[in-house]
Amino acid sequence: MTPALETRGLSIAFGGLKAVDAVSFSATRNKITTVIGPNGAGKTTLFNLISGGLRPASGTVMLDGRNVTGFGPAALQGSGLARSFQITNLFFELTVRENLGLAAQTLDPVINAFFPVGRRGRAADKVDELIERFGFAAKAHELVAALSHGEQRRLEIAMCLASEPQILMLDEPTQGMSHGDTEETARLIRSLSTEVTVLLIEHDIGLVMSLSDHVVVMHQGRKLSEGAPAEVRSDPAVQAAYFGHG
Amino acid sequence: MPDIMDYLQFILAPQMLNGLALGISVVLVALGLTIIFGLLDVINMSHGEFYAVGAFTALALSALGLNYWVLLALVPILLLPVGVLVERYLIRRVYDGGDRHVSTLLLTFGLALVIEDILKIIFGPNTHRPATPLPGATEILGVFIPTYRLALIGIGFVVIAAVALVVYRTRLGAMVRAASYDRNMAASLGVRVGWVYSGAYAFGIALAGLAGVLLAPIYSVFPTMGHDFILLAVTVVIVGGMGSIWGAVVAGISLTQVQAISALIISPVWGDAIIFGVMVVVLMFRPQGIFGRIGHA
Amino acid sequence: MLDRLDISLRANHVLFVILFTAAFVFGVMASMTGDRFYLRLATEALILSGLALSIDILLGFTGLLSLGQALFFGVGAYVSALVLREVPSFWLALGAASGASLVAGVVGGLIANRVRGVYFALITFGMAQIVAKIIYNTRSLGASDGLIGIPVVEIPLGFVTLSAGNPLEFFLVVLGGITLIYAGMSYVLSSPFGRVMIALKANEKRVPYLGYSTWAPRMVAYVLAAVIAGTVGGLYPMLRGFVSPELMFFSASGDALIMVIIGGSGTLVGAIWGAILLVAFKSVVGSWTEHHLIIVGLMFMAAVLFMKRGLIGLVKPMIERRLVRIEAAREMRKEGKAP
Repeated sequence: MTPALETRGLSIAFGGLKAVDAVSFSATRNKITTVIGPNGAGKTTLFNLISGGLRPASGTVMLDGRNVTGFGPAALQGSGLARSFQITNLFFELTVRENLGLAAQTLDPVINAFFPVGRRGRAADKVDELIERFGFAAKAHELVAALSHGEQRRLEIAMCLASEPQILMLDEPTQGMSHGDTEETARLIRSLSTEVTVLLIEHDIGLVMSLSDHVVVMHQGRKLSEGAPAEVRSDPAVQAAYFGHG
Repeated sequence: MPDIMDYLQFILAPQMLNGLALGISVVLVALGLTIIFGLLDVINMSHGEFYAVGAFTALALSALGLNYWVLLALVPILLLPVGVLVERYLIRRVYDGGDRHVSTLLLTFGLALVIEDILKIIFGPNTHRPATPLPGATEILGVFIPTYRLALIGIGFVVIAAVALVVYRTRLGAMVRAASYDRNMAASLGVRVGWVYSGAYAFGIALAGLAGVLLAPIYSVFPTMGHDFILLAVTVVIVGGMGSIWGAVVAGISLTQVQAISALIISPVWGDAIIFGVMVVVLMFRPQGIFGRIGHA
Repeated sequence: MLDRLDISLRANHVLFVILFTAAFVFGVMASMTGDRFYLRLATEALILSGLALSIDILLGFTGLLSLGQALFFGVGAYVSALVLREVPSFWLALGAASGASLVAGVVGGLIANRVRGVYFALITFGMAQIVAKIIYNTRSLGASDGLIGIPVVEIPLGFVTLSAGNPLEFFLVVLGGITLIYAGMSYVLSSPFGRVMIALKANEKRVPYLGYSTWAPRMVAYVLAAVIAGTVGGLYPMLRGFVSPELMFFSASGDALIMVIIGGSGTLVGAIWGAILLVAFKSVVGSWTEHHLIIVGLMFMAAVLFMKRGLIGLVKPMIERRLVRIEAAREMRKEGKAP
């Protein structure tokens, strides 16, 4: 079976520094694949290469066996890929509902772009569903700027789901969350993996071990190891480079 | 053959020398503009008005009997506190409100309107022609050039060199460049970023005022005198690379030469259109300008 | 319940209806007292309000500061004047002005949209300066004198024919035109496409990750704004009987920007109110002192510093709260839980 997402020899350098160096891995459909590694290992750069924020110097990105290397973020989103950001990246002057509406309106046919934003239709239904599912009913008309940090982080995930992607890339979704919020988010991510392929960057090792189906370890821009969580944990190279410090 | 020599000696050379005087003047105005942009990320739309303020201050003080050469030093010093106040109490308030470029541009645009009208209220709308401090002309290669223009070119070069020396070679300049490059990093290294910002703005304003004093004897003094000049200075800053001092010098001198020579070949009326054409083309293909920025070079 | 953006648009409509009614009453009363001067002035204010509104489409919604919007106003005015001197047809002149500004908008957009932020502002400024200087130096376009001798036109509206020479009739035609422009832009902004424009201002970097091009909506907004500016520019020579290069100078773009900021950016209707207030202010204060600029400048700075939504921002929140209450009451009734 073709993997949902596959990279081959993906590389980019900034100045002389090889931020991502010949990284190849694949993410299986409807499984959770997590990229871990110490700070500066190149995880977010890898995400940027896959999601079109950066163009790789060499290597390829395949979605469903289709070569999408060099596609921009908008084209990749159209191919079924959605991503969230490590630093909350939302429309702060708009309400929760408006944010979700913006993300969902690609579901409607293009011709709808020229009629007033409706209360009916696939996009509107999707927004209602997400507001319900993420518990934003009471805050649907609040400005995003007025939400708490945890709520903003949750909205980041909801925004990604609004376009019904096949691949969901979450960059540290629990960053800065309270313990309770983190657990709730973990439950949410697990429930998502029945519908979408999840690619995750996460720092909380406990969470990584319990959540992931497959773990990719990065170190200094290179892929150090990959495998099931238990395999990776017992890999001596990983222990030396990563667990050894903490 | 003698015709060509005559053309070079009596038409082209004086034209280029006049162009150089204009170029030096534009660079002086552009220096302040480029420092303020490079450091504060502010397009100072009121720069031309501060240039006019410098000229009018000199005019008023010389009426009190102060010597021109004293004013050359005094007027920029008088403008320093004005610059600090404007930065602290006006510009700083809109740094973090959304799009900094747009909000500061708008604020200084409003300030320009106010300053222009204040000048009109105090001095009236009329044009003043201060006497030149160095009357007469000097012969160079058989052509007579007004002595003050030559002095202006000399003084201008000294000021530009001094500014470049301060920015690129002193500890103060290093602090300023550090604050421009990474505000938080500079703060953690003990640089008082707030004062650096105020100081840089005030320095830029003082340079505009200095240019006003220097140029008053050549171009006349009137409340909207900054308008035409500032357009040229903005173009110089863009073409040279916003925030680059060497860029401003190179662009200022070469663009005014282009203008001076095109005035001879085509017609003087097309000079402005050509200059703005260069600006648009540079913005299209190399918006960062020919040279980099203060902190980034 | 309605989205905040919908409430905001509805509040704009309320403010527009107030303005329309006031303008209509003013027009009829001025006409009854036999006034020509103030009707002409008000017509000019409305024409300029179209230019201001086009700046607000870019600045208030898409987040692009144009410092050279008068370029398109001038293109429309000159093309309209040239057509009128040959064929005194209202619709032909207006159509030609719109068409020319459409072409100019596409060309200008392709140039200006290569860059962002402050570079965009400066490139729009530079383009306007170049075209203004070219016209200023072109004999066949009247050079610095501009074009004069534009005939008074008849305005056939199907059911009735009005005259641009009659101050009240032309005032009403322009008022109708501005109403159409306002309604059209409100419609665009209420569509999903309009939402993407607004998203560009709020957070441009995020937009491509939602699957939208950032270039295309910016370009469309720019061309729309150019066509609006050019179309109202086409009305100008019909009012004044002449056009001059000053129409394209920075002072014209700057004045329109002042109208937007003082009236309130990001509201459409604020630009129209701002245009009327500024023209009225200049005419009233200008009659007893030359120094209105200092007051305008101070108001402008105050708007930038303290009133992000301009003068409109002082009343609009009240209207919005009111609309929210009305809407809530209606929904309660619909659900059969009468209050």
